Amino acid sequence: MLRREPVDVLPRMPILMGFKAQFAGVDYKSFASDSRVKVDANVRCAEHFGFDVVDVMSDPYCETEGFGGEIEYPTDGVPRCPNPPLTSTKDLGQLQTPDPSQSKRMWNTVETVRTYKGRVFEKYSIHGWVEGPAAEAADLRGVQSFLIDVLLDPQWCAGLMDLCTDVAIEFARAQIESGADVIGVGDSICSQLPPDVFAELVLPRQQRLFESIRDAGGYARLHICGDIKHLLPFIKDLAVDILDVDHLVDIAAVRECVGTKMILAGNLDPVASLLQGTPEAIRQKIRDTYARIGNPMIVAAGCEIPRDTPHENLRALCEPVAYRH
Amino acid sequence: MSADHEVQGLLQRIALCIERGKDCRDTPYPEQLRDEDGVDELVRRALDSGIDPNEVLADGLMPGMDRIGTLFRERKAFVPHLLLSARAMTKGMEHLKPYFQSGEAVFKGKLVLGVVAGDLHDIGKNLVRMMVEGAGWEVIDIGIDQPSNSFLEAIDRNPECSVGVGTLLTTTMTEMGNTVEAIKRLNSELVVVVGGAPVSENYADSIGADRFLRNAQVAREFFASL
Repeated sequence: MLRREPVDVLPRMPILMGFKAQFAGVDYKSFASDSRVKVDANVRCAEHFGFDVVDVMSDPYCETEGFGGEIEYPTDGVPRCPNPPLTSTKDLGQLQTPDPSQSKRMWNTVETVRTYKGRVFEKYSIHGWVEGPAAEAADLRGVQSFLIDVLLDPQWCAGLMDLCTDVAIEFARAQIESGADVIGVGDSICSQLPPDVFAELVLPRQQRLFESIRDAGGYARLHICGDIKHLLPFIKDLAVDILDVDHLVDIAAVRECVGTKMILAGNLDPVASLLQGTPEAIRQKIRDTYARIGNPMIVAAGCEIPRDTPHENLRALCEPVAYRH
Repeated sequence: MSADHEVQGLLQRIALCIERGKDCRDTPYPEQLRDEDGVDELVRRALDSGIDPNEVLADGLMPGMDRIGTLFRERKAFVPHLLLSARAMTKGMEHLKPYFQSGEAVFKGKLVLGVVAGDLHDIGKNLVRMMVEGAGWEVIDIGIDQPSNSFLEAIDRNPECSVGVGTLLTTTMTEMGNTVEAIKRLNSELVVVVGGAPVSENYADSIGADRFLRNAQVAREFFASL
């Protein structure tokens, strides 16, 4: 589908993190910090439920660790950075320089991709991941402070995001060279930004990142949690191959805005449909979505599917849906 | 100009500064109010000139939060705007604090607010806190990553309160259910509201919460209506 060639069924790309760890019987700390554990959990889950993508996702703090942030790993919780490195300073010189071949967590991600390449090359689509310019800036500064800074000190935010973009490009290149087919860019905080701030501060930096991913031979995927309706007039011009659409957004309106040049992935409600719904309601929702937006489409929930989702519901999400020519 | 007009003008100015997020004169934002007094200076002036602190709250600070909240609901304002307005509101409330302590000014109610164990996200909680304060409520913020016992202890210290429980993570939704159950088991009469990105009305019902509040503005409207 990414090559714009006909496929037999719609690709299935559920975002699963806690679910994969639980399914594989490993604690989340190991899942997030040991590449072999993550690869094993992903492959076992993909084989069992029948989806088409393996990925490197576990938490947003790979680059933050490279920048010098201290990361905590709760045994059964998501890694966290309780004291972002720019909490009490705006001196960017205080940050370390992340290096995908040296920084522990970034190197671990590259290793994860390399392991996939050796184990499941061409069987599954291998998705690498980087934090987008705004998301990483918020991880380094603290979300609340960053959201205030974008109005009070946009010039400083621009400098910080330039730095984050440079690092994201290097990190993406390293993953592509190691075997990633697609680089997902998580820039979730963007849904909370006013459109003028997004257009002036984030858009040019995202564009630079996506073009670099394509130049390096990868496909680009954009994931923004939440409602992005107000950003669609800008997003439609980005060099994005796959656009994740969260359940809060009318996916037909997204199709209308971006046309068929982007593959839309989505957009079942992870909680109401997957965690709490029924297999038949999930099948119906997928049929309805495909009928509304047509090709190109990837079957997915709008965001991460919760850990305790019933297996029969995930199986229903992953049932083959014939591609309509 | 009459004294009444002057009072009304000052209160309207306070409301405008809250709406636009102008907390003090030195703040450069927004450009249209650069080098003008902000909430800090205006509330001080209002109190010094003898305006009733309840009036400053009800006719100055609260209408400003109401307006920015409405703009947020209409997607004409976004979280950064809310944060600046809430910061300005906090600045105004600092001047009113002595009046609340003396009983000269009164809160509409008290909300114990926290995020469940295992979840370190604080921005949603902070927004709710600031918006509900903007509705004239006292908010006891017990913080993030809080086990149900912390909620129960805060309720013991504030027995007439309502309770707000939040989580941003799908992985900690179960903990939200445990927390609500623990609160309701011992305090069935208390109003317990829940919120957070993965939470829905159905989920709130399923764990026994009294109300699902979709965002900070909905929370403000709910508590303003009580």
